[in-house]
Amino acid sequence: MNKREIAEYTLDKLMKSGAEGASVGVSQGSTDELNIDGGEFSLMRTLFNSGLSMKAIVGGRKGNAAINRLDRESIDAAIENCIAAAKSGKPDSAERIAPGVGEHSFEDGPQQPDTALLYDRMREYIEDVRKDYPLIMLEQVIAQFDHEESLYMNTNGTVFNSIGGEYGIEAMFSAHDGERSSSFCGFGASMYDLDRRIIDMDLHRNTLEGAVKSLATRSFGDKMVGRVIFTPGCLAGFLSSIIGNFMSDSVIIDGTSPWKNRIGEQVASEGLCVSTIPLDPRIVCGERFSGGFVSENMDYIKDGVLKGFAIGDYASLKTGFARAANQSMNLWVKPGEKSLEEIVSGIGRGLIIDRFSGGDPAQNGDFSGVAKNSFLIENGKITDAVSETMISGNLVELMQSLAAVSRETACDGQSVLPWAAFDGVTISGK
Amino acid sequence: MLKDIISQYRGGFSLHTELRAQQNTSRRVAVLAGEIVANSRTDVGGVSARVYKNGVYGFASGADYTDENVRNVLEAAERNAVFMDSRVGKGEKAFPSVERGEYRMKLDVNDVEQRHYVEFVRALDARIAERYPGLVSRRVVASSDSMEKLLVVADGFDSYSLMPRSYIYVTLTVPDKLGGTVELYEVMGGRGWFTDIFKDPAALDEKVDALYTRLMQKADGVYADAGVKDVVMHPNLAGMLAHEAVGHTVEADLVLGGSVAGPMLGRQVASELVTMVDFANTLHDGSPAPLPVYVDDEGTPASDEVLIKDGILTGYMNNRESAERFGMTPHGNARAYLFSDEPLIRMRNTGIIPGKSKLEDMIAAIDDGYYLVETGNGQADTTGEFMFGINLGYEIKHGKIGRAIRDTTISGVAFDMLKTVDMLSDDNVWLSSGFCGKKQPMPVGMGGPAIKCRVNIGGR
Repeated sequence: MNKREIAEYTLDKLMKSGAEGASVGVSQGSTDELNIDGGEFSLMRTLFNSGLSMKAIVGGRKGNAAINRLDRESIDAAIENCIAAAKSGKPDSAERIAPGVGEHSFEDGPQQPDTALLYDRMREYIEDVRKDYPLIMLEQVIAQFDHEESLYMNTNGTVFNSIGGEYGIEAMFSAHDGERSSSFCGFGASMYDLDRRIIDMDLHRNTLEGAVKSLATRSFGDKMVGRVIFTPGCLAGFLSSIIGNFMSDSVIIDGTSPWKNRIGEQVASEGLCVSTIPLDPRIVCGERFSGGFVSENMDYIKDGVLKGFAIGDYASLKTGFARAANQSMNLWVKPGEKSLEEIVSGIGRGLIIDRFSGGDPAQNGDFSGVAKNSFLIENGKITDAVSETMISGNLVELMQSLAAVSRETACDGQSVLPWAAFDGVTISGK
Repeated sequence: MLKDIISQYRGGFSLHTELRAQQNTSRRVAVLAGEIVANSRTDVGGVSARVYKNGVYGFASGADYTDENVRNVLEAAERNAVFMDSRVGKGEKAFPSVERGEYRMKLDVNDVEQRHYVEFVRALDARIAERYPGLVSRRVVASSDSMEKLLVVADGFDSYSLMPRSYIYVTLTVPDKLGGTVELYEVMGGRGWFTDIFKDPAALDEKVDALYTRLMQKADGVYADAGVKDVVMHPNLAGMLAHEAVGHTVEADLVLGGSVAGPMLGRQVASELVTMVDFANTLHDGSPAPLPVYVDDEGTPASDEVLIKDGILTGYMNNRESAERFGMTPHGNARAYLFSDEPLIRMRNTGIIPGKSKLEDMIAAIDDGYYLVETGNGQADTTGEFMFGINLGYEIKHGKIGRAIRDTTISGVAFDMLKTVDMLSDDNVWLSSGFCGKKQPMPVGMGGPAIKCRVNIGGR
């Protein structure tokens, strides 16, 4: 059976098994991957991927099942499991199949990999790093091409077809000089083509240079409360925590979000705008549909005002708040007026933080953790890397303490983010 | 149970080959504030092959468990190995042979219907709602997974293994004294099928009561004072320390990638009190390890790897390739999570051997510090710098337990911090609910005693 036949068969059988509504997703694709370990090529992988997920509503009760084999015996077993799961549940009026929106097709990126070019780019990358940054050890690099064809169909008449192909690279590296070592640093990017040298992609040379500079560190010194700058990668991590802690399904459903009654109110500094932008042309293979709905870009925070939550259809119907227009984490923060250099020049003593390694923030937004790959700012200049430095604060207060946003942004194919400076963060050295 | 259709292909292996059929299952039911928000069953399986040629590997996988797909996967893996060898040209020799044999785990599949999960979770949730009316929120999750593997190798042990785990997570939320909320969770369960472990929701009352008591203490808690402090870590934290602070730095692939442990072999890296072992299947006291491994996914029979002996760094965890490079013996640490994953060097059951001290004496020995009881997530670094989140802890003032503290994070540099260990308790706790993340997730066991040492603690 092809994807459409599988989807139609599954929906038909779910309905004949007692469902009053159902949806199904079928996908087929492949992954071609090259691995570098310890600076040397180690592995080439080819994965033939497939998947089938289904949802059924039986008497107002929801069941879900997912498998990766597309033979009839496996599909029949999954249908039986899905129906049994639904029947074991409890009726809930907020459960439904998304309303019908007709048939839509989406296509993004190349459909076939250029494996030989991917190999050549990786070899060139190893050589570039050896030549320009001889103290860097590439601990692991994963370069891959993903291709997926997927189909979503539901019993309300919605059909989404999508075809997508993208290259991706993830590198983990550190600098070494004798027995001295930097922390591990990461670089990742998604792209439609291999036109650029990997080493010249956004921010990659910054992180490589940062790792080398981190071979010599010094203590931050006495504890203080002050200003820190988050790099785009670090900012993405904090925004993800804020969305998870204050705006996601579970904390809106159970009402534990500190922002639960703040829609339309000022929750952040006036200069802050945060959106998710899966349809932006800079985003590689951005989400086109989710949960039976066509995806659109969405503002979460505009000029500091909370515009909506990151919730799905169930949480929306459960709470009365609007459903998020997409479920992606393709983050965008509006750039500011000042350059990064100007922002740094206004700081007497502080930190620029590239990676935050901390415990999961508490429900009220309290956070603490280690400032990794981070540098002192002294008298308006970035100086030395710091050792064993912890930062702490509260995410609710942090959002209201934005000091500046840079006009420069970095794009890794998944997000487009600037540098952002915040006040009121506790910094403590060892 | 997986039917064996792969053994017949061993005779056709022209290069060093591992052929694996695998099935992973996941069952999950979540109830949030009385409503079922997740009710799902997932089954993922297929066949994969990895082929070694002159220092590089080729790998391929596919979902269909048919003769045609097995042949396709073998051909694709060999094609990838040949491509890599032709381009890279490492020219490395074949691995030394390992012992040959066969291992078959004897354990029946007991994959019960979804209603068992739903009924148990709803009953437990109803008990919690009735017993603690002051809760702001409650979440009860039943989660079980299993990993069934059939392995055929050109050289080593063929094996069949089955590893089921089942857990109940209870998360409670109450108002705090600052006008916000605090939460705390408890994990119950271990290795085994769901209905073999969880028979009566009332049997969990004692643990949920204890969770509620600790949560109320936390709701009245204070912020920790940031800085380097004397602490006693509850045995719940010992495994995380062993795993994050040391374990990752002595994985041989990370050593090759520049881990701080590289030049430290044979050196004093910890107090003489510290002995740390990655157990394969049986703990130091003869009891079963929480997640036993008997043969790894390269066909190497599994045995213990002593990482630190009396404070001296003695070994790395290896796969066959890294063991050859370091002149060491592989002990079965090459493990893959899904059928579509290649084996990576992973921990199994990593822990610190208990000492001779009593917990109360350890607390009494601290004038001003903290007793750290529960942890959440953790992260390691190639430098040996580690951190993990602390979900529950208490002040220690003049040798006595004081007020609870709010969520915080601790950090340190492993081989510095372990030299400050001056007391280990004579008991230990082993945990198994976690996943280690390293390209692929992997269930791991971790454990150890209470530890008295100095660490950097975050706070205000």
